[in-house]
Amino acid sequence: MNEPYVRKVEQKKNWTLTTRAFNRLLNWLDEGANSEGQKYLEMRRRLIAYFDRKNCSAPDELADETLSRVARRIEEEDFIESETTARYCYILARFVFMEYLRETQKGTVALDEIRRQMHGKDSTAAEVDDDKEKMLNCLERCTNSLETANRELITKYYIGKKGVKIENRRSLAASLGITINALSIRACRIRDKLEACVRQCANEAK
Amino acid sequence: MSNPMNNNQTITEYLLGVLPEPESERFDELSFTDDEFVDSLHAVEKDLVDAFVQGELTGADLERFKAHYLASPLRREKVEFAKALQTFGEQELAGLRAKPARTAATRRGWFAALDTFFAPRPAFQWGLAASVLVLLIGGGWLVVDNLRLRQQMSQTAARRDVLVQREQELQKELEGQRMANSQAEQELARVRDERERLEQELKRAQQGGTKPSSGEGRIVSLILVPPLRGAGQVPSIAIRPGTNQVAAQLQLEAADYSAYRLALIDPAKNQTLWRSGNLKPRIKGDRKALAVNFSAGLLKPQNYTLRVTGIPPGGGSEIVGDYPFKVVK
Repeated sequence: MNEPYVRKVEQKKNWTLTTRAFNRLLNWLDEGANSEGQKYLEMRRRLIAYFDRKNCSAPDELADETLSRVARRIEEEDFIESETTARYCYILARFVFMEYLRETQKGTVALDEIRRQMHGKDSTAAEVDDDKEKMLNCLERCTNSLETANRELITKYYIGKKGVKIENRRSLAASLGITINALSIRACRIRDKLEACVRQCANEAK
Repeated sequence: MSNPMNNNQTITEYLLGVLPEPESERFDELSFTDDEFVDSLHAVEKDLVDAFVQGELTGADLERFKAHYLASPLRREKVEFAKALQTFGEQELAGLRAKPARTAATRRGWFAALDTFFAPRPAFQWGLAASVLVLLIGGGWLVVDNLRLRQQMSQTAARRDVLVQREQELQKELEGQRMANSQAEQELARVRDERERLEQELKRAQQGGTKPSSGEGRIVSLILVPPLRGAGQVPSIAIRPGTNQVAAQLQLEAADYSAYRLALIDPAKNQTLWRSGNLKPRIKGDRKALAVNFSAGLLKPQNYTLRVTGIPPGGGSEIVGDYPFKVVK
């Protein structure tokens, strides 16, 4: 192993994300527009979802690692023109995932065991009922914070058995004057907001 | 997402981890670079989770979901949320979570309690619609009645104005009549005064140039018409005791002279007992007359003659006529 490579690895390990670097990252993700951080948040969500689909144990940490590497690359080279922002993030995410696999293969058995334990963990009936009641209360609170139209939409879109649900969605789309696809996207976004609100409410209740 | 291969079934297989490696890597990249694919991915994932929660997954899909999808803590949280959402929605539809309204209002706040009006409850909505309709009808009737009353008021006001004007006119008319009456009364008083004056003047005229005897005395009237040719009845007068004056009025056939004189003659003795001064004839319409007063003491029960002579402008006198009369007791 030669000296420049060792020095480079050490520099990478010692690098920290500064405020300046973070702002440059935001600007790079915005691609000239000012999304007020929304592009960053969306990219982070996609990274977390990617690492989660790969069954990584800490998808949010890996997402942050990926974004940190993008920011460092911008700092070092000042400009990334070879790829679009989304594709470049994906490429780095693959590298991060590959590194994660190599690391976990060293301790594959232990991590799989932990995963199985987390998956197979049994709660008592009382704990389950308590958690369920908390979530329902949080859901009621979060639902009531939605606008009336959005509350009605999500109720009609997601409730009901398969056949009824399909018919509800069809009539709902017709009443709103939009396609089924547009309705689906709108309902998804409302549900995501609702889920985030419930998660926060549940954490506050613990 | 323009590739028709990226349908919901394929995305489901990707989420369950059964897609071949090259296809899976392609979807991995699309999950970053293609916004449309990302939206579809989210929607299919949610439907997949709901299908599991509602027991619609079966066979290999169900097994793969449990083995692969539920392996992630984050994905398990999504399943828990989907279960809660399903329960919440069922309770909403059943109306269980909407009661009691008062408790919900205190928990959710006053404005949120208004949401009970917008909840899908047909009976309540029909009742509300009926109430609104009744209010609209009632309000409309009130408006119409108000307009009708306003119209009546304006008509009444107009009639009142007409009556007020008529009253003013009658008042003016009454004032006019009062003024006329006052003037008539004034005229009547004036006429009365004039009559009294004329009566007094007549008295004075009847007394003529003779001095009135002492105290008050009676006056006897003697009206003589022009004598007819031939015999005729001689007018007579009675001189009662206390009679002082004789007021003689001699009608003339013509008033050819501007002045006349009268003489009282005793025909038996052919003696002139009295003479008047110059008299002017009194003309009333087509009648001409001489009026004179002389003393009744000159007369006795016998015949007398009043001779009328005219005074021409050049002087002298000309007998016009003799007017005989008789004095009786």
